Amino acid sequence: MTTADAIDRAGQRLADRVNPIVVKELRQGLRTRVFWIFFTLMLLACLVISLIAFAAADGVGKDGRYYFIAYYICLSLVQFFVIPYSAYRSMSREREEETWVLLTLTGLGPHRILRGKMGSFMLQGLIYASAAAPFLLFSYYLNGIDLPTIVIALIAGATYQLFLTSVAVSAATLAEARIVRALLHFLVLGFLAWGLIAGLTSIFGLVESVRNLWSDSAARVATCATMFGMLTWGVLLYESAAARMALATESYAKGPRIAFMVQIAGALAFFVWGAFASGEPSLYPVGAITMCAHVFFVGLFIASDRDGMARSLWLTGSKFSLLKPGALRGYRLVLLMLGAVTAVFVTLTLLDKAVSDWRNFNLVLGAPAFAALYLSLPIIASRLLRHPPSQTAILVRILFIGIFVFGAGLPPLVAAIIGIEPDHVLFNLFNPIVGMVNLGGTKSDTNNHLILLYAVTFGAVVLADGILKGRDNPPAR
Amino acid sequence: MSDVLLEVKNLSRHYGALKAVDDVSFTVAAGTILGFIGPNGAGKSTTMRILATLDVPTAGDVLLDGKSAIDHPDKARPLIGYMPDRYGTYDDMTVLEFLDFFARAYRLKGQERENRVASVMDFTGLFPLKDKLTSALSKGMKQRVALGRTLLHDPKLLILDEPADGLDPRARIELRELLKALAAQGKAVLISSHILTELSEICDSCAIIEQGRLLATGPVHEILSRTTGNAVSSELVMRVWKGAEGVDAALARAERLLLEQPLVAAVTVEGQAVRVRIELPLGAAPAAGWVEETSARLLRALVTAEIPVSSFQARELDLEDAFMNVTKGKVQ
Repeated sequence: MTTADAIDRAGQRLADRVNPIVVKELRQGLRTRVFWIFFTLMLLACLVISLIAFAAADGVGKDGRYYFIAYYICLSLVQFFVIPYSAYRSMSREREEETWVLLTLTGLGPHRILRGKMGSFMLQGLIYASAAAPFLLFSYYLNGIDLPTIVIALIAGATYQLFLTSVAVSAATLAEARIVRALLHFLVLGFLAWGLIAGLTSIFGLVESVRNLWSDSAARVATCATMFGMLTWGVLLYESAAARMALATESYAKGPRIAFMVQIAGALAFFVWGAFASGEPSLYPVGAITMCAHVFFVGLFIASDRDGMARSLWLTGSKFSLLKPGALRGYRLVLLMLGAVTAVFVTLTLLDKAVSDWRNFNLVLGAPAFAALYLSLPIIASRLLRHPPSQTAILVRILFIGIFVFGAGLPPLVAAIIGIEPDHVLFNLFNPIVGMVNLGGTKSDTNNHLILLYAVTFGAVVLADGILKGRDNPPAR
Repeated sequence: MSDVLLEVKNLSRHYGALKAVDDVSFTVAAGTILGFIGPNGAGKSTTMRILATLDVPTAGDVLLDGKSAIDHPDKARPLIGYMPDRYGTYDDMTVLEFLDFFARAYRLKGQERENRVASVMDFTGLFPLKDKLTSALSKGMKQRVALGRTLLHDPKLLILDEPADGLDPRARIELRELLKALAAQGKAVLISSHILTELSEICDSCAIIEQGRLLATGPVHEILSRTTGNAVSSELVMRVWKGAEGVDAALARAERLLLEQPLVAAVTVEGQAVRVRIELPLGAAPAAGWVEETSARLLRALVTAEIPVSSFQARELDLEDAFMNVTKGKVQ
């Protein structure tokens, strides 16, 4: 066997191990006109900038930072816009031309397919970055920027590209109807345009202040929190896309629910760290409200899953697992997360001896009650209507908007009409906005109001849980 | 008949009040082709998607090689080759790249993969086109590529949803031959189509579905015998020449004469043609060649009566007749 044969065989063996989607997408991606046009334009732009830098160089200048930024703009246009958009188009085509079904039948599974897609687009980004690398290095020789800054900027850029690609791929799995897909297309374009500007601004900020990262703890926390947010949201969106594209026979809910729990746990840990570092008790209600709003928003998608699950899933694992598909288990998981958030913030509030203001405590307790109540109401309403199960998720979200607008807008309006204060406490007891404001206000008797709110919320939770439990039956043989 | 490979038991799929599939049961044996027919919206594609493990039933079971495909979809998938009504090819890939990609996706490795792709291209006649982009192929060839993809992992059961839709006559005939060859290899084939004449030529049996309910299943002649109430029916078509007395008079004499003959159930005059429906009495076993014998007798009677017959031929009732007899044209 010659060396060439051996290399060829090794290459074949390697190709056999690589995710086939990566091979396919790279093969397709590198054939497109878009790739070659942007590749050529980026190189030309970098070349022109280099010629300008060469002509302007006087040997003592410190303009490297500005030239680095100029090179980075050329690269980021591709990294933050062209590549995520190509990923969106690729995924959309897969759904429109119904090749997705054929892929899932091969046994690849939605996770592996999406990983392959995202991996191939990250590799395309690497190809662009490697073409731009000599120019970025050239900026180092122009003085004014050090190598660690260049490396950090490139790593941050790659992370951001991964996040944007994840958002784009996830968005492509959202819509079924043609009109919604067209609308979504424009939304994605708009989001990526905004993402490009936001990304560039952040990278410039990072380049300017990277030295402060080692000395300024606030900058460090902010950078870590941003990276954590991008990472967990990226993973959550990726898992949600995989769940949406999974077959009903698969345990599609496991990934997004684990990602959700990790995100909540991580965010709580960040908050505890930040709270202890700053020693500022007024942050607790803000944290509780923000976290409950987040749990509620994500929970709305988790708890509006379809009823029950495939028979194959009833046969495997524990039937009490909250990671299995089904609205009942999703709803209970969201309640559990709300409970965890409440427990953490109540503990933080109690531990802080400086907390003397009971209004903070009311807000910390009120936020999860409102979240649980407004999560339960649309679930109760949607299950009482007659509709095909496939519409449940959309129906719950539409009902939520209706009930939220109704709950927030009607009480002040009626109060004003009948001639009492629009922010009357009892009238707005279940108002998610005015009610919360009242709980944190100076009006009297808020403890009793809080008990009443909890009693009604408890009733709604028990009712919603009972309705979902009644519909959570294994399919008949 | 060989062993049953696919057994569908009381399968139902409900969307709220809509019963897309309602208590459907049938079997497909290895080495046979079952035609799955019904009007648009009858529930064919929904049933096929459940059989392909892409959807879950509200009730019922699907046994594949004796094991439940509903309880263990992961184990069932390698046994199933599913071709949806849309071919789904990647336009910017060549035929070879497309098949190679799917072979990789099916986890075929190295030489085994190359051999399998070559064998599939050989079977489907795609070798001469292997370096062509799929976008440059005709619809018939694209359909072959899609069939090739379905065969890559050597499934035991093929589920083909409207594979002949939009194909020209040549491509349809070629597809028919491919399907016959696959059945001869021992594969069970479940095929849906609107082109009933196509199905009647290749199917060993058929299942007729309407409004989600299975109306009839079994060999075509059995369904016909059930729906007509006789052991076997047939139809003769004859034309008359105007002759000396004129067409109308000749047709009237022919109609009267034919109605007097034994086994003639009905006579219909359409223009210059006369359709004669012949039926064996209820419970009578069809003797070999009874249609030919009856035809000869009727022709002799017509000629003896000096009716100017210009053409005379027998047409056995087929799947189309069975379909029209069984369905009511209702959609949900």
